[in-house]
Amino acid sequence: MRNIYLIARREFLSYVATWGFWLSLASVPLFMGLGFGLPMLIENSQPTRHYVIVDESGGQLEQALVDGFTRAQEQQIAEIQEAVTEMVGDNPQVQQAMASGMMQQIGDGRYQRIDLGLTDLEALRPYLLEEQAIEIDGEEASLFAAVFLRGSVENGIEVDYWSKNRTDSGLRSSISRALEDYMQEAHLLSGGVSPGLLQAAEALEPEVRELNPERSGADATVTDAERIPFIMGVAVAFALWIIIFSVVNMLLTAMIEEKGNKVLEMMMSATRHYEILTGKLLGVACVSATLLVFWMGLALGGATLVQQAAASADIPVAEIFSALLDPGLLLPALGYFVIGYLMYGAVFLAVGSLCDTIQDAQTLMSPIMLIMMVPLFLVMISADSPDSPIVAIASWVPVWTPFIMLARLPHDPAMIELVGTTLVMLVTAIGVIWGAGAVFRLGSLNQANQETIKGWFSFGKKS
Amino acid sequence: MPETILELANVTKTFKGKTAVNDVSFSVERGQITGFLGPNGAGKTTSLRMSLGILTPDRGKVTLFGKKPGPKALDRVGFLPEERGIYRRMKVIDVIVFFARLKGVEAGEAKKRGLKMLDEFELLHAAEQPVKTLSKGMAQKVQIISTLVHQPEFIILDEPFSGLDPVNQKSLERIVRAQADAGRTILFSTHVMEHAERLCDKILLIANGTKIFDGSVKQALGEVPRRIFLETVSEHDLLALLDAYGDVRRDEGGDDAVRCWSLDLAAGADAQDVLKACVDAGVKLTRFEPVRAHLHDAFVHLVESAGGKLTETTDA
Repeated sequence: MRNIYLIARREFLSYVATWGFWLSLASVPLFMGLGFGLPMLIENSQPTRHYVIVDESGGQLEQALVDGFTRAQEQQIAEIQEAVTEMVGDNPQVQQAMASGMMQQIGDGRYQRIDLGLTDLEALRPYLLEEQAIEIDGEEASLFAAVFLRGSVENGIEVDYWSKNRTDSGLRSSISRALEDYMQEAHLLSGGVSPGLLQAAEALEPEVRELNPERSGADATVTDAERIPFIMGVAVAFALWIIIFSVVNMLLTAMIEEKGNKVLEMMMSATRHYEILTGKLLGVACVSATLLVFWMGLALGGATLVQQAAASADIPVAEIFSALLDPGLLLPALGYFVIGYLMYGAVFLAVGSLCDTIQDAQTLMSPIMLIMMVPLFLVMISADSPDSPIVAIASWVPVWTPFIMLARLPHDPAMIELVGTTLVMLVTAIGVIWGAGAVFRLGSLNQANQETIKGWFSFGKKS
Repeated sequence: MPETILELANVTKTFKGKTAVNDVSFSVERGQITGFLGPNGAGKTTSLRMSLGILTPDRGKVTLFGKKPGPKALDRVGFLPEERGIYRRMKVIDVIVFFARLKGVEAGEAKKRGLKMLDEFELLHAAEQPVKTLSKGMAQKVQIISTLVHQPEFIILDEPFSGLDPVNQKSLERIVRAQADAGRTILFSTHVMEHAERLCDKILLIANGTKIFDGSVKQALGEVPRRIFLETVSEHDLLALLDAYGDVRRDEGGDDAVRCWSLDLAAGADAQDVLKACVDAGVKLTRFEPVRAHLHDAFVHLVESAGGKLTETTDA
């Protein structure tokens, strides 16, 4: 035990002293920041597109376009208001900010209509070809598009959209949508449908209630909070996969480095190979635990801040944490993490002990990586179809059990499946760790390498 | 009777059908410096690994301090492997303390001893430096300190002189001698005979996985025929004259006036008797040179006698 502790401690301290550890620690808040900030940055960095409209219909279609754009903007603002209210509740400060006209900035402001006073295509062509610049607020800019509108609802509307740009289709689509709505509406009105009836028809939508047959009366209604455990099951399964995957890679690279330093035999004269293996696994497990505790603390702190910022927030933080900390999910998650980590960690250590370079390791890693990728897809399938036969069968594959069963746990799988898959996984884990230990011992003493492993899988092949 | 520290009894180890060590038996007694000699690929490293329980023999028995090699026994052993390295990113003193702690020394005591030994090895200034900043010679000294810091009763050094320059080889010889003077038992493998000849009380010679000699240096030298080189300017036939004293050969070289001979003395024959026989017969000698045998000669002779080759085979 002394040696296992000393090796684990050395491993932990050696990782903590690396830049990689601190980068990993910062990666989650960094990526979260990027996740929020990047779309905004992309949005803000889009250039303003200037376009002209030439209405050859006498102004009718131009007005239809203006009305259509205004309606689309109003609809977009309404959707954002609804989303914000759902997120932060009826917070007075937020409502005030929205009412103050801030929302009027929202909309597809990327496309700005201008009037060059030209109605002839040939006069506009030099601008469209960027041979001539337009002037906006004293600065030079290029003309993005010229839109010619002609015809009528009765005889058909034609739109000529002139632009050098072949990829940005936003303006073209908006025009198309706006005129399509206009045409349909005009058609209905000309057929005798009253404007009031049309408006009432647009407002119609069914009320769909989701009910749980296990309950009755008012209690039967399924709430959003009830869906959280299922979402958390899948989320935890993915988190488990990410953690195991990143941590075992640490083990692999460290092992190869250690073998390159030729320190292993010195270690083996002081302690046994299984103590080295266990110590390394524990040391790196402590590293991942440190990362997890930090990230969870950060998430908790962040959630608390959001709660305080919006006292009446509608975020089901309590339900999320309640689902996450539910012993029915938390304890199996811990158990699956430990067993999954030990299985994959031992295999990666054994692979590392056989290789002198990362390039050597890549040959052996390819099939292992393929095996590791499978549960990612199965977890996604299990989110929608936990009772799918493929998911049920795959649950019995021990190296996939930790991830798939975690995602299936909130769906209350049969006890026989729960106990059976766990037993098969445990027995396999013991076998894998034992086998990895034996390979580790051979690899550490240079009595086996990647060619040895390849030889094991070349039965019947002629040498 | 001295205590037996290590004993290998009829030990055999095979890798992929190739026998690396074949029915080898030997023992190491307390207080001795034992040299474990043999050509490359003879089975030295495999034997040492089995001695520590790093490898398990296919047949035979290994006892270390009277028991099967185990964690308790390993705490009393210091092992410097042939393939040696240390954690390059760790500080020198931290590496020494880590290995000392693996051998059961308390952290404070380990640091105290480590600093003292660094001072003795003139490396105290590097105590807080990462190992990767050290020269190869300095790093090897740190490895040796890591091997000795827990004050082991039994020290096993696998090819300790390889990779060291002559100055550091001399320095290591002094360290080995000092450890022996402090009462430690030492077993080291080498194929550099000069070190073994200067240091060892006892040598074990292994070739092709089989033990071919086990005894003192003097006994090993006794296995090699002593040789006398003679040059004569008279017409005497030394083949007939000295036949009773051993194996006489007429050598190449010399000229019409000078004839060259060599004589491998038979067991029990004395160089003085050969000289007397020449003088009595009136042989005009211009050279009479008895040559002292070295362990290298004994090594070559014993290996060749056992049918072994001195070329590299595999690393066993």
